[in-house]
Amino acid sequence: MSNIIKLEHVKKQYDDGFVALKDINITIESGKFYSLLGPSGSGKTTILRIIAGFSEPTEGRVLFDGQDITHLDASKRQLNTVFQNYALFPHMNVYDNVAFGLQLKKKEKNEIKKAVKDALHMVQLDGFANREIAELSGGQQQRVAIARALVNEPKVLLLDESLSALDKRLRKDMQFELREIQKKLGITFIFVTHDQEEALAMSDEIFVLNEGKIQQSGSPVDIYDEPVNDFVARFIGDSNILNGRMVKDFEVEFGNHTFECADAGIKPGERVEVVLRPEDLDITSVDKGKLHVRVESQLFLGDHFEIKAIDTDENEWLIHSTNSTKVGKEVGLYFDPEDIHVMRFGESEAEFDKRLESYEGGD
Amino acid sequence: MKRIKWSRLYIALVLIILYIPIFYLVYYSFSSGQNMDRFGHFTWVHYQELLADSRLLAIFLETILLALLSSLVATLIGTLGAIAVSQIKNKKIKQLLLTLNNVLMVSPDVIIGASFLIFFTALGIGLGFGSVLLSHIAFSIPIVVLMVLPRLNEFDYSLVDAARDLGASNWQVFSKIMLPGITPGILSGFFMALTYSLDDFAVTFFVTGNGFTTLSVEIYSRARQGINLEINALSTIMFILVMIIVIGYYFISSRSGKKGGRLL
Amino acid sequence: MKKRKLIFLVPYLAWIALFVIMPIILITVYAFRDEHGFTLSNFSQFFTNGTFLRMTLNSFWYAFLITALTLLISYPTAYILSRMKNQQFWLLLIILPTWINLLLKAYAFIGIFGKGGLVNSFLGLFGIGPANILFTNAAFIFVAAYIELPFMILPIYNAICDVDPAVMQAASDLGANKWQAFKRVLWPLSKSGVQAGIEAVFIPSLSLFMLTRLIGGNRVITLGTAIEEYFMTTMNWSMGSTIGVVLIFLMIIVMISTSSSASRRKKREVKL
Repeated sequence: MSNIIKLEHVKKQYDDGFVALKDINITIESGKFYSLLGPSGSGKTTILRIIAGFSEPTEGRVLFDGQDITHLDASKRQLNTVFQNYALFPHMNVYDNVAFGLQLKKKEKNEIKKAVKDALHMVQLDGFANREIAELSGGQQQRVAIARALVNEPKVLLLDESLSALDKRLRKDMQFELREIQKKLGITFIFVTHDQEEALAMSDEIFVLNEGKIQQSGSPVDIYDEPVNDFVARFIGDSNILNGRMVKDFEVEFGNHTFECADAGIKPGERVEVVLRPEDLDITSVDKGKLHVRVESQLFLGDHFEIKAIDTDENEWLIHSTNSTKVGKEVGLYFDPEDIHVMRFGESEAEFDKRLESYEGGD
Repeated sequence: MKRIKWSRLYIALVLIILYIPIFYLVYYSFSSGQNMDRFGHFTWVHYQELLADSRLLAIFLETILLALLSSLVATLIGTLGAIAVSQIKNKKIKQLLLTLNNVLMVSPDVIIGASFLIFFTALGIGLGFGSVLLSHIAFSIPIVVLMVLPRLNEFDYSLVDAARDLGASNWQVFSKIMLPGITPGILSGFFMALTYSLDDFAVTFFVTGNGFTTLSVEIYSRARQGINLEINALSTIMFILVMIIVIGYYFISSRSGKKGGRLL
Repeated sequence: MKKRKLIFLVPYLAWIALFVIMPIILITVYAFRDEHGFTLSNFSQFFTNGTFLRMTLNSFWYAFLITALTLLISYPTAYILSRMKNQQFWLLLIILPTWINLLLKAYAFIGIFGKGGLVNSFLGLFGIGPANILFTNAAFIFVAAYIELPFMILPIYNAICDVDPAVMQAASDLGANKWQAFKRVLWPLSKSGVQAGIEAVFIPSLSLFMLTRLIGGNRVITLGTAIEEYFMTTMNWSMGSTIGVVLIFLMIIVMISTSSSASRRKKREVKL
């Protein structure tokens, strides 16, 4: 696949001195669904605005199809945006909103009509052309915003927290639909969100951002299973994070026990952090478990139980289980060696990848 | 970057045009000459004349008294009117009242002045301080209503229920719940009424008699006789007064939160 | 509580009856009356005498010119202002002159436009001059526009500030250049402010008789000046009232036509 957008050493500092982005390097391939994921203030929207052309980087370059577009006006870029609050033109009806871009390009009337009709059909708003914007629900406005952007046949579609204003049910539906549209059209989507579930569910690739830096990038599975640092581990999914010490390759110590693990390439005795996902922990009898814990509380969350337990060294454990247990009961915790994920302090994504290669190279 | 500079230049030009007349007046108030063509030498003589002009000083004080009195009464009547109007359920009656309210807002000053003149003459009310005061109250009421009404419409009436639930009397509900809620509207209404009164010339010109005159009317009659640098001195003093009030207001409002500061 | 509300309403209703309805009735009655009683002669004089008709046209023409000039200066000002830092401060600077008495500002222009005034000495630098500026119609229009300027800037500024910046970005995102974004998005969305500004400027412009007296050279050129002339100088209140009634009537027509054109949003149906 070819690269469509490239950010090279992009830095953004505002007039008041606040540094929103520190040396961002991103390569976007065409035809994929990307998410920029991070808490508010992490810089994800700034990146989107720089790509869209609403903001210029203080340093660095933006390349589009190999051409430098760093200082190109937003109106001349071959990409379109779905705004956070949709930003539909309130004085135009649905048809005029969607036709706006094509009318500016001086397309022929019948051509515009057909394109608008197709676009509205794609977002399932057939027959809504003559509605006023104020008459539409939030979900319908969202669809108009998507149609208005897509009708211009952009090479890249940018979506800025576009689903955050919708209620949970509608959001799930739209996630699915957006993914379908993206697959059908085969264009690149760059989706900004603070909702990790949304990013995991929709993306081919995720960029996790914090404090103006990319913390980790990769497929949802990679990022979930192998977070590079404790920010990523905590931000994506629930996790149990413990301090530990590497004993030797494939062996780590935490909670006063030594466990077999799947990590290597770390020198023996090094202090590390250990991540165990709650759903990887199984409750079993005390003698079969690797750890001995006492159940403190239990909450039923619809599709699973959230259990909190304390081990003999007073560490708290979060467990997701489909089976219930009893509060106060002494139980064992079982997990496989692959469920343990070891993180080194201060290891960057590149270093992590290199280390992984060094001992998984043979695979 | 270049665009921004052009726009700066434009704003600067507009501001210069807005302030040239004012500073022109101030400048010549210190001139020893008798016109605004050539600056003589620096002098305070026009200020001394002004301070000795007891007639003008009396008019100055009377104008301020008139403004305060008329805006006070207009604010009272307008606020009560706005409360009453906001509670009217019948949409047609409400619309009718609002339309009548706006008649004086959209009428040209000459029409208001002329029709009030006929009105006072028909009722046999002598022209003077009384007729001017009544007129100023009359044309200030609608702006008070327009300032207070939006506050009342935004007012959360569940607060009234809550207060009643907690045992508040009618008067307590009004003074402790309602009034604080609409006070910003009342204040800006009063402020607008004050400006209307101080700024009015045309209506006063029609309805005032021999015995009473306001600053506007006095300036008009003196200006018609030609240039008199005593007026320049008066302008300077008024401009400084306005500056003091505005700067004071600006500081108070910017200190008491960013929400203030909107002046109109 | 019911009775209390009624008490609230009494002074307000009294005001409406005495100062809104009564004056309109009285001025209308005067318009149809002379020493002998009911008459239509004032109106027939108004509509047959060319002076009055010309004056009516003149009034509206001048009011239109004043409004157009203020709008032309105000819209860019309001727009630039809305994109600036410290907007409250700059806004304050724009509003400040409105608190200086109108007559004082008019008086200043007597000096500025005078034979040896600021404008003529400026023109003198280029070897032009001295020109008769004071007591011309152009001077009247300029001063009137000067006085009305803040009242046009403010509503437009407020309307522009109410336009969501994201909507402007959306226009640019969809390929609109600066002019297209203005024409198709900003202007339609800020039109309410423009309308409010026009209303705030046009109607007062009809009654600036003191300016026509001080700056315009004491000639009776507008309906406002004519009313003042008949009421205060020639003491022919009936004729003055007649002109007043005509003015009211014309204003109502203007207002109805602008408000209906504003509320009647053209609904365009597209068949797909």
